[in-house]
Amino acid sequence: MNANTLIHPVLARAPVFDAELIARHNVNGPRYTSYPTAPHFNEQFSEEDLRAIVRASNEDPIPHALSIYVHIPFCLSPCFYCGCTRIITRDRRRADQYLARLLREIAMTAPLFDRDRRVNQLHLGGGTPNFLDATQMTTLLDALRNGFNLSTDAEREFGIEVDPRHADAATVRMLADVGFNRMSLGIQDFDAEVQLAVNRVQSIEQTREVIVAARESGFRSVSVDLIHGLPKQTTEKFARTLDEVIALRPDRIATYAYAHMPSRFRAQNQIKDADLPDAATRLALIGQTVSTLGAAGYRYIGLDHFALPDDDLARAQREGTMQRNFQGYSTHGDCDLIGLGMSSIGHIGRSFHQNARDLLGYYAAIDAGHLPMQRGKLLDDDDVIRADVIQRLMCHGELDMRAFGEHHGIAFREYFPVEMERIDALQADGLVVVTADRLTITARGRFLLRIVAMCFDAYLDAAPDGARPTYSKAL
Amino acid sequence: MAQPSPIVNLRELRQSCADCALNPLCLPASIGGSDLLRLDQVVKQRMPLERGEILFRENVVHPALFVVRSGSLKTYATLPEGDVQILGFHIAGELVGLEGLSGNGHRCSAEALERSSLCEIPFDLLTDVAAKVPGLQQQLFRVMSREFARELEHPVMMGRKQAMSRLAIFLRSLSDRLRGIGHDPRVLHLSMSRQELANYLGLAIETVSRLFSRMQAMQVLDVDRRSVRIVDPPALAALAEKSDDEA
Repeated sequence: MNANTLIHPVLARAPVFDAELIARHNVNGPRYTSYPTAPHFNEQFSEEDLRAIVRASNEDPIPHALSIYVHIPFCLSPCFYCGCTRIITRDRRRADQYLARLLREIAMTAPLFDRDRRVNQLHLGGGTPNFLDATQMTTLLDALRNGFNLSTDAEREFGIEVDPRHADAATVRMLADVGFNRMSLGIQDFDAEVQLAVNRVQSIEQTREVIVAARESGFRSVSVDLIHGLPKQTTEKFARTLDEVIALRPDRIATYAYAHMPSRFRAQNQIKDADLPDAATRLALIGQTVSTLGAAGYRYIGLDHFALPDDDLARAQREGTMQRNFQGYSTHGDCDLIGLGMSSIGHIGRSFHQNARDLLGYYAAIDAGHLPMQRGKLLDDDDVIRADVIQRLMCHGELDMRAFGEHHGIAFREYFPVEMERIDALQADGLVVVTADRLTITARGRFLLRIVAMCFDAYLDAAPDGARPTYSKAL
Repeated sequence: MAQPSPIVNLRELRQSCADCALNPLCLPASIGGSDLLRLDQVVKQRMPLERGEILFRENVVHPALFVVRSGSLKTYATLPEGDVQILGFHIAGELVGLEGLSGNGHRCSAEALERSSLCEIPFDLLTDVAAKVPGLQQQLFRVMSREFARELEHPVMMGRKQAMSRLAIFLRSLSDRLRGIGHDPRVLHLSMSRQELANYLGLAIETVSRLFSRMQAMQVLDVDRRSVRIVDPPALAALAEKSDDEA
C-alpha cells in the first residue's frame, strides 16, 4: 500500500458526477454480479460435474464458508418495469407446491456439504419472498437450519427482499424471529403518477411501518431500492421522493436505472414510450440522486449503491473487504454460493451453475430426484484472473497491477495488452489514471465502473451462438 | 467434472533410468552404461494411475518395490470395524510397497491421490540385479532406510499432544521432501483432502481447518484452496518443535 494512502483511496475522492462524460460512455454492458455472466453458461455442465465440484470444495484445507440464495418467484401483481424471473398469481397455494420442491432440493443439496461449513449469508429474493406466509416461511427456515449450519452471529448477513404493500409490523417481527437481520424494500418512486404508470401503488405510511418495525425487531440493516428512468418521472417530483426516502433514514439505498427492453420483458409493454423521461432527464435524475444523498450523509459505495457511514457495507468498503456477488455488494463475498429454487445461480469453487429457469423444468427435475441445475460454467485460469480484476475494480476502485500479477503468476501488462490499450483510451477521457503499477478509477470514472470493467471482459466480443446477449445501459 | 481421457505419454513410458530426474534418489552415483541397461530391463514403467485408482490392496501377494515418479499416493490399513487408518502420503521420488517384500502379502493398500506415474521393480529381479551391479545393494539399503526413517515420523508425530505441532510437523516434512526433489519447498499443493489429513493426523476435520486458519492468521501460511504457501518457514519450524508443555 502507498505510504500516502492513509485512508482507503476510494473514500479520499468524493465521486464527481460528470453528465457529459457519462452520456458519452452510456453503452450497454453487464452489471458483473458474476464473471463470466450468466449468458455464457452452457448445458454441457452436468449434475455429476456439480457433485464432484462440491465434493472437492469440502476437501480444501479451509473450506469456504457458505452463502445461500433462495428464489421465491411469485408476485401478487406485476410491476411493469420488472425484469426479474417471476410468476404473477393470487393463488397462495402455489407457494405450498413450490415450497415442497424447495424442501426436497434442500434435502438433496445439504448433505453434499460438510456440516462444519457455516452459512454466514442467506438471501431470499424474488419475485416477492413475503409471498410466503408465516407458516411457510417458518417451514423453509426450519428446513435450512436442519440441513445446514446456519450462523447465529450478529455479523451474519441474513437478508430478505420485502414488498411493503404485503407486509406489516407482524410480518417483520416474524421475519426477525426466523432469523433475518437485513431487509431490502422496494420503493422505486413515491410519486403517485409514476406509481400508477408502473402498476405499483405504495404509500409512504406502508413503507414507514415496515422500516420502523424492522428497527424495533433488531434488523441490522435496512436497504431501499429506487429506480430512475421510470415513466412520468421528473427531477422536481423525484426531489420529493428523495426527501421522503432520506426522512425514513434507510441504512442503504440502491438506485437502479430502468432498462426499457419490452421485447425481452413482456410486462414492459404496458409502459408507454411517450411517458419515459428523455436521456437528459435520466442523467439529471442520477446527478440529483448523487448530490442529494451525498448531502444527506450517504456514502457512495459503487455502481448504484449508497450507505450510511456506519453501515457494515460502508465499513467493509473502507477496510477493503467488500465483495461483489449475485446479491450485489456484500461483506461476505468469499463464500461458496448455493442457489436454491427456480432460476437461482450457484457459485462453488471455480464454477457457476444455474437452476432450471421455468417452474415446470424445476419441478420435473426435483420430482425425478435430480438436482435441478440446468446449465453452468467451469472457469479456466483466464476466467479466474479476469473475474478477479473486475471484482477488484468494482469493489475497491483501484488495482495494484504488480501485486495482482504476482498473486496470479502473470505479468499484468503483457497478459492484458489489448485491454491496456482500451484502458489508455479511458485514461485519455479521464475515467482512470494509470501509473507504473497502479490502475485507479477517477472521481469522475466512479459512475462508469462497468465501462472500465468491460475492458477486461473476454466474452464481449465472442457472444455464444453468434448472438450478443442483451445488457442494460451502463447507467 | 468430466475426467480427462487417459492420455498415454509414450515418452514418459519409455523413459529409462538414465534420463529420469529422480535417478540420484534411486541409483548409486557410480552406476554406468551396461549396469543401467541391466536395471532398465527390470524396471517396469506402469500406465499412470488416475485419482482414486488402487496400486495394490492389503493381503495381496505382489512383492515389488514401487517408486513414485509423479503425482502422489496414500497408503492405508483397513481396521476391523471397516474404517481406514491412513499411514502415509508418498510424493515423487518415494518408495511404496516395502512392507510387502516378505512375500506374505501387502500390509496396507496404496491409492493414487491424483494422476500419478510409477516405476515397478519386481523384488526377485531386483535382488538378482543388485547382486551384479556394484553399489546398487548399498544404495538400495540407503533408499529403504530413508523411507523407513520417514515413516517413523508418523508415530513420533502422533505422540505429540498439541494438534498444532502435528500439523506443523507434517507440513515441514512435506516441504523438506519437496526440496529433496528440487521443487519449491514453500509451495505445497495438497493432493489429499482435509478428511484424509485429519485421519492421518488423528484430528477432527474441523480441527484441521481451524489449525490452517490459525496458521494463516499468524501469517505462517497463506492458504488458497488446495494450495498452501509457507510464508514464514522459521515460524513453521518453531511450531513443529514446540514441546507439549509450552502453551
